[in-house]
Amino acid sequence: MSTDVHPPKLANTLLASFCHPHYLEDIQGDLEEEYYERVRDTKGKWNKLWYFYQVFKLIRPKLIKRNKVKNLIYSSMLKNYLKIGFRNLWKYKSGTLINVLGLSTGLAAFILIALFIKDELSYDIHHKDADNIYRLTIKNFNTDGDLSRQWAFASAGHATRLKDDYAEITHATRFYPWAFPDLTVAGKKFPSEQVVFADEDVFDIFTFPFLIGDPQTAFSDIQSLVLTESSAIKLFGNDWRGKDIIGEPVKLERSGQQATFTVTGVMENMPEQQHFHFEYLAPINFIEKLFGESSMSNVTGNYNWLTYLKLKDGTAPETIESKRDEFFDKYVGQFSNGLDAKAFYDFELQPLLSIHLNSSLEGEIENNGSIQQILIFGTIGVLLLLVACINYMNLATSHFSRRMKEVGVRKVMGAQKSSLINQFLTEAFLVNLMAVPMAIVLGVLALPYLNEFMDKQLSLNLIANVDLLLGLVLLIILVAVISGSYPSLFLSKINLIQALKGESAINSSKWNFRNVLVTFQYVVTIGLIFTLLVIESQLSFIQNSDPGYRKDQIIHLSLSRNINNLDVFKREMLNHPNISNGTYASRIPTGRLADSMGAGFFKNDSVVGLDFRLPFILVDEDFLKTFEINLLAGENFKASMDMGGDSVGYYLINNAAAKALGYNDPSEVVGKKLSYGQYNDQSLRAGRILGVTQDFHFESLHNEIKPMVMLKGSWNMNRLCMQVKPEDLASTIDHIESTWTKFDPERSANYRFLDEIFSEQYQAEQRLSTMITAFTIIAILIGCLGLIGMVGFIIDTKLKEIGIRKVLGASITNIASGIGKKFLLLIGIAFIIAVPTAYYLISGWLDDFVYRTSIALWIILAPAVAVLMITAISVGYQTLKASLVNPVECLKDE
Amino acid sequence: MKDYQLGEFEEIVLLTVAILHGDAYGVNVKKEIQRRLGRQVSVGALQSALRRMEEKSYLASEFGEATAVRGGKRKKYFAVTDLGKKALAYTKETRNQLWDAIPEVVFKFRWA
Repeated sequence: MSTDVHPPKLANTLLASFCHPHYLEDIQGDLEEEYYERVRDTKGKWNKLWYFYQVFKLIRPKLIKRNKVKNLIYSSMLKNYLKIGFRNLWKYKSGTLINVLGLSTGLAAFILIALFIKDELSYDIHHKDADNIYRLTIKNFNTDGDLSRQWAFASAGHATRLKDDYAEITHATRFYPWAFPDLTVAGKKFPSEQVVFADEDVFDIFTFPFLIGDPQTAFSDIQSLVLTESSAIKLFGNDWRGKDIIGEPVKLERSGQQATFTVTGVMENMPEQQHFHFEYLAPINFIEKLFGESSMSNVTGNYNWLTYLKLKDGTAPETIESKRDEFFDKYVGQFSNGLDAKAFYDFELQPLLSIHLNSSLEGEIENNGSIQQILIFGTIGVLLLLVACINYMNLATSHFSRRMKEVGVRKVMGAQKSSLINQFLTEAFLVNLMAVPMAIVLGVLALPYLNEFMDKQLSLNLIANVDLLLGLVLLIILVAVISGSYPSLFLSKINLIQALKGESAINSSKWNFRNVLVTFQYVVTIGLIFTLLVIESQLSFIQNSDPGYRKDQIIHLSLSRNINNLDVFKREMLNHPNISNGTYASRIPTGRLADSMGAGFFKNDSVVGLDFRLPFILVDEDFLKTFEINLLAGENFKASMDMGGDSVGYYLINNAAAKALGYNDPSEVVGKKLSYGQYNDQSLRAGRILGVTQDFHFESLHNEIKPMVMLKGSWNMNRLCMQVKPEDLASTIDHIESTWTKFDPERSANYRFLDEIFSEQYQAEQRLSTMITAFTIIAILIGCLGLIGMVGFIIDTKLKEIGIRKVLGASITNIASGIGKKFLLLIGIAFIIAVPTAYYLISGWLDDFVYRTSIALWIILAPAVAVLMITAISVGYQTLKASLVNPVECLKDE
Repeated sequence: MKDYQLGEFEEIVLLTVAILHGDAYGVNVKKEIQRRLGRQVSVGALQSALRRMEEKSYLASEFGEATAVRGGKRKKYFAVTDLGKKALAYTKETRNQLWDAIPEVVFKFRWA
């Protein structure tokens, strides 16, 4: 509630802006007194709204500052401003249309971006104690003391030990998604549900409002089950509220073991803006009993326990972090090889509120957002809005200068500067007011696409979203003031004599500021096109670069635990003319190399511990054939090799590993002895390196190719990849599904194409590219509208000049180039500013990739050429039209 | 006779200020009206009525002490002036005259 205590600052600022200074103090005091009283009595979120409402209701002639009253009401010019404003907008219909279109597109883009950013920034803030909640992340170091991995998960023992040892930690919970058990309710089976086991503290740390049941007692029995609204609907039907489901038994079943849990509560669904989503919570004590004390006290490795800590109010996370050496000394001490554990492990408390935007650690529970994306979008949003405003300024000054004579006459009749400014500001407001509904319509139309695209559920519901409405009102005012200020100031300053003479003033050097504005528009457009091209070329670089393995026409199948006889399963799968070569693997290319163990390498006769991380995957003898990965030296696994039965390790390494071991010639490392696995783990053992494969991009192009080892595995083989032929895919898939059903009738086959998984690695980049394409189109559209309007104006004022030039024998090209020359210069300046700036910004993005495209010359030049062409087209047509007019037409009147 | 014009709401406010003698500032006046008449009053309406009557010199005002509840802002206390009293008296007087002028039959007719 701490944020709710003070009355909204914005409302007070608003109040101060209009309220008569003599009345301000006590009126505001009255309001605040009542506000605090309401907060004390109701604690509702409506209090702020109430405050705003009261402030709005204070806008009354009696209470408003005197000078404002005088200007707006007493001089009763407002009506006149409006009337003249409407007349002018109507008179220059095409100009008004261009203005409204430009502004509304810019506004719509800005509103959507603002919605998106607001949503991204609101992750996890609904938890009451969000400021004091931290996620425990674990860092691993290699023997050189370099950070090798940082995990979003901790080990089983961290939470309880930290909480017991340090009083600053008031609550701690783990989340452990155990084994996806099948649930049975009233004889109906729900296979593989994600039941998450958590400590009792979970309801004290996170704010999970209960619909029924009591969070304090929800976990008092170790076989309790807390549902969310949606899982309650799933298990008990839509009318679960009528069924009194508290106390209902739910059977959990997995691999023959089973236990009956009792429903003790139903929570609200976890909001979209949360960095994890669970459907079922159960007490972790159940798991503890199952796993036994020894595995629950582990504080090194087995990072599967999502761990959150709540600290005492005002405790800095560093106080806990500083205890890490003490912690590891106490619970681990030294390894059997005499090294201190504290040199290899470390923990860090990550603030809950920074997780969604700033965290990308090993094993993030869900895809997080990125602060970089927010910055890029935010910048673009503001730029687009500015471009739209500038567009308005340009067009408005163009149109207003047709009204020089009007201004002149007004001045002669005694109009003051302020009333002229008010006149033009009023007109800016009118255009804005027209643009806003259209912007909202555009926004509503575009929103579903944005949602689908960004995987969001944003809504543009102004009634439910008061912040949005208020923001929109402020935005209108801001845009109107920005866009109306220059034209009105400019016109009101015009020299009376010049104004009455008419057009002579227009072509003077006073129009320089407008050139600056046009140049700014060009800068934004060129910058966006450049950015887009760089992103696109990086994406096509990714698509076209050879990952070192085959990614097309491979079907990937995740196995279920009901499939046990792997040999038969594979044989039956491959028993189809369109399917050839299949391999089992624990992980496949496009994945992460997250599993690793210690290793020793036999150099001469002595064993040396590896000083680099050597992650492993488990594969079978068909892996290289299926993925078409070449062997540089040595030979492949044989089907008969069995690491489990033979008590020998069979290893293939990649070339990077060979190099890391100190062998530049891969054939030299073949046959050398390697001992892989934890020293106290008997399941892995010494063996020989059978072969060396070429390097391939197991992980995405964001990462360097790292050393890795492939083991001939016979456990954890939970994926099957098969080469398929492109023809008659339907029958292939039929075969896969029917074979699957033979082995596992309970679940359906979960198959995907590898190239799809491959592309997903770059989903964030694809999204960015599409979004920037859309923004670039908008910027170009707005820019074009502005250009068309402005050139039309320039030509209007130069008609006589053109006429005279033609009479004196100028050709059409002469005239057109005379007008176009100026734009060429502006584009040139814009180019010089835009490309280095955009390059500076985008190079940060490119740095995310270890393997990246180089920026070719054409990428630098293309934006300028594109802008030149766009300008030439929009300028050319009108220039041509003007220069084809018979000179008599424009010269005859005087 | 000089015209002491008082709107219905103004009259209520003026009377309430008189009732609260010495303790009449915005929030209090508002609450008192709500308590006695069960009528919702917006800050805007109340404040503009107070200022209007201050301008007409029916009310006088002075700042009180600053208090913490109000974020350090001072209260403004209102008091009814002599002119205000006259206006109230005048209003009451005219009402009474009007009441007295109603022929008896009107009410009888209603109750019949």
